[in-house]
Amino acid sequence: MMITRSLVSVVDDDESMRESLPDLLREFGYAARTFSSAEEFLGSDCVDRTRCLMLDIAMQGMTGPDLQRELKLRGQQIPIVFITAHRDEAIRERLLEEGAVECLFKPFTDTALLEALKTALRVN
Amino acid sequence: MDVQHEKPADEIKRLQRCINDLVSVLALPAMWSGGEPSQILHTFLDALLVMLQLDLLYLRVNGPASEAPIEAVRVAPSNDRTARPQEICKAINQRFGDDPLKWPPVLKTSLGDGNISIVPARLGLHGEIGVIVAGSERADFPGQTESLLLSVAANQLVIGLQEARLLSEQRRVASELDRRVAQRTAELAQANEALHLQVALLQKIPVAAWTVNPNGTTAFVNQSWLEYTGQTLEFVRSSPEAWMSAIHPEDREETARRFWDGIRTGQGFTMEVRCRRLRDGEYRWHLNRAVPLRDAEGKVLRFVGTSTDIEDVKRSQENLRRAEERTRLIIDTALDAVITMDVQGTISSWNKQAEVVFGWSNSEAIGQQLSEMIIPEPQRAAHVRGLRHFLASGEGPILRRRIQVTAVRRSGAEFPVELEIVPMRLGSDWVFSAFIRDITDSKRAEEKIRESEFNLRQLTETIPEMLWSATPEGVIDYCNARVLDYTGFSAEEIMGAGWMKLLHPDDTGETTRVWMSCVRTGAPYRVEVRTFHAADFTYRWCITSALPLRDQQGRILKWHGTIVDMHDWKRAQEELRNTQAALAHMTRVMTMGQLTASIAHEINQPLAGIITNASTCLRMLAADPPNVDGARETARRTIRDGKRASDVITRLRALFSKKNASTESVDLNEATREVLALSSSKLQENKVVLEVELAADVPFVTGDRVQLQQVILNLLTNASDAMSTVDDRPRKLLIKTEQDEGNRVRLTVQDAGVGFDPETAGRLFDAFYTTKDEGMGIGLSVSRSIIESHHGRLWAAPNEGPGATFSFSVPRGHKAATGADSIRAMQKPAMTDGA
Repeated sequence: MMITRSLVSVVDDDESMRESLPDLLREFGYAARTFSSAEEFLGSDCVDRTRCLMLDIAMQGMTGPDLQRELKLRGQQIPIVFITAHRDEAIRERLLEEGAVECLFKPFTDTALLEALKTALRVN
Repeated sequence: MDVQHEKPADEIKRLQRCINDLVSVLALPAMWSGGEPSQILHTFLDALLVMLQLDLLYLRVNGPASEAPIEAVRVAPSNDRTARPQEICKAINQRFGDDPLKWPPVLKTSLGDGNISIVPARLGLHGEIGVIVAGSERADFPGQTESLLLSVAANQLVIGLQEARLLSEQRRVASELDRRVAQRTAELAQANEALHLQVALLQKIPVAAWTVNPNGTTAFVNQSWLEYTGQTLEFVRSSPEAWMSAIHPEDREETARRFWDGIRTGQGFTMEVRCRRLRDGEYRWHLNRAVPLRDAEGKVLRFVGTSTDIEDVKRSQENLRRAEERTRLIIDTALDAVITMDVQGTISSWNKQAEVVFGWSNSEAIGQQLSEMIIPEPQRAAHVRGLRHFLASGEGPILRRRIQVTAVRRSGAEFPVELEIVPMRLGSDWVFSAFIRDITDSKRAEEKIRESEFNLRQLTETIPEMLWSATPEGVIDYCNARVLDYTGFSAEEIMGAGWMKLLHPDDTGETTRVWMSCVRTGAPYRVEVRTFHAADFTYRWCITSALPLRDQQGRILKWHGTIVDMHDWKRAQEELRNTQAALAHMTRVMTMGQLTASIAHEINQPLAGIITNASTCLRMLAADPPNVDGARETARRTIRDGKRASDVITRLRALFSKKNASTESVDLNEATREVLALSSSKLQENKVVLEVELAADVPFVTGDRVQLQQVILNLLTNASDAMSTVDDRPRKLLIKTEQDEGNRVRLTVQDAGVGFDPETAGRLFDAFYTTKDEGMGIGLSVSRSIIESHHGRLWAAPNEGPGATFSFSVPRGHKAATGADSIRAMQKPAMTDGA
């Protein structure tokens, strides 16, 4: 049963997010891994296994959209759900156009998160 | 004979009777004295017929050689013969012929039915005066006494006739003499009167007249001369040249020469000299003439002369000559070609301009046919017809007015002229003056004007502006199509005073007043007036303005005006004014908005943690069995994130709590740190590498903390934005504080961005100047006002390398401006720049 759980990777420089999200994701029945930066994620062994990527937009170094582009270049078709504390509809629109499954503004509800994940995995 | 047979008594009786008869006969001449010859003849015949008891008596008296003889016949009254006197005369003349000497003394002849004895008696010795023929039927005729009586009577008759003739001749001579004397007397009287008249005439004739003797001395001068010159007759006669004292000194020598020449040659003279008039001392021109008066042999008796004052004539001649000269000059210098033509169509004058225009010289043109010189071939016939028609009828439709026709030059080139022909009566004939102007140039200019007028009209009709014009009296005389389109009125409705219909009723009074005042004074006209707009049936605000067009003397020729719909502009202006009023507030709000975005970001982070943890917590507790440890952990994290959020709120309170206490001591370092904390995420997002150098010894400044922070935030945002497109170098941003000269504190923000063009450096601080796509360009302007309200200054400088450096410097511990001042300072630029 555990083996069949889909891996959701969280990339966010905010520590409280890294702490809180995996527990909730596991409650939803997913496997979860967290990374404090895009570089860290790319350097991990999770890239190929990740079925959904929860990605912060504004980060030191490589930003969320940067990572999105990088993955596309590498031919990685990972569904991405952006999460951001900066409420900006224009950015959200742009990201969706670029292929993101969803862009959630912090703070978001657990149901909104679950909706986004389901969509992402269905796409997958 | 029968005498022997008479008795002596009878003889005596007979003798007595004879003597009586003789006496009677001898008395006849006395009776005849003074009588006429015809009367003498008749009394003679009557007396002799009775005295000799004759039956027939014939008398012939030869007149002078040139005259026919006088014949008379007497027949006794008792004789009843029917022969008529003419027949008797004829018969007698046949019997006795012309020569009385050949007549027989007695002739017995039958006359009628009886015999008659006829006896002739000669008048004069040889009968040269005439003949008397006495006839009687008595046989004894003539007796002795009868013959005697007959011859005596004949003698008496001759005497009587001769006396009568003599008398008659005397009378004739006397009467002829009388007639001649009377005639001569009348002639003399007449001559005398004529002479008097002539003398008087000569004296009073209004021309000086005189006679000069053949030797040159003056014989006579009339009164006119004496009165004119003031000379006396004695003076004039005193010497031959005395009269010349009246001549102008300059003319005297010449006068004397001509005078003596005329006298010597006997030809007289004619000369013009100046004579002095006594009345006013004026020397006036005189014509002096003298002609010789000669006798039958041609010898000069006198010279008769006159001296005529011709000054006025001469002057008017001179005037006439000058007038003619002037006329000629005028005509020659006239801009028109002036040509005159007679009734034959022949050119009689041709001025200078005509030479220039047509190319024919005066001498070439005069005497030529006008039509052949200047009229193009096809029109010549019409010219000739027109001339004939005028001469016949006195009508000429093209006369006395300016017309435009085509003329031809010597070269054969045709060209347009303006022509006026004026016919003038000169004596019994007509003369035609033609005034001709070459209008080639003006025609061309006219074309150009027409073209430019057309262009102008096109311009005014197509220009997307409303145009109109008015007369100097203020009457509208033109509106272009835009006006008509806009107002929906027709041109006729607007012309004149109709334009008031276009205006809002509330505006007409004032507008009319201003317009009439401008029309009167010539001042530029400009009113804001609500004008009818046909498209939406509303009145819209328009600026109607006009300027006068003046001539060189400054008189107004025309008003030209425009109508500009500024309804939207006016409303926009009002809106702008409102906007400007709110702008300072908005700026503050916007700045706050930027802060709010940062604040939201800062708060949303812990909030997201809180909600996620709480959700997890609930799910863990709801599991079967509940994951209590997990729930505890998530609850703990929730509390921690809550505290984080609380920290953010605390920082915010520090930022806003004292915003109304605008004057306070501000630690610029701390204020900067707060701003950096709030904008760090934004800077991070823009990949800005931030360097912070806050000097520890920076003194506090006095001022509005929030406003200063707005400035710092603005400078940071600008610096960050300026580097958003930079990829070839680090997006380095240095912010530092330091002590400045003169007890001031300086804050500097240096970026490595695109920098700015030195040329636009001056405009960086203008409101609404921006180089950003999304910026409003209001930040730096407001920032500068804020700094200036803190008695500081804000400036910009390009870097040595890429990017720019913005700095402000404010005094330390200075008594800061009041809050109200600050607000005003913030509002000021927006108000003034937008106005």
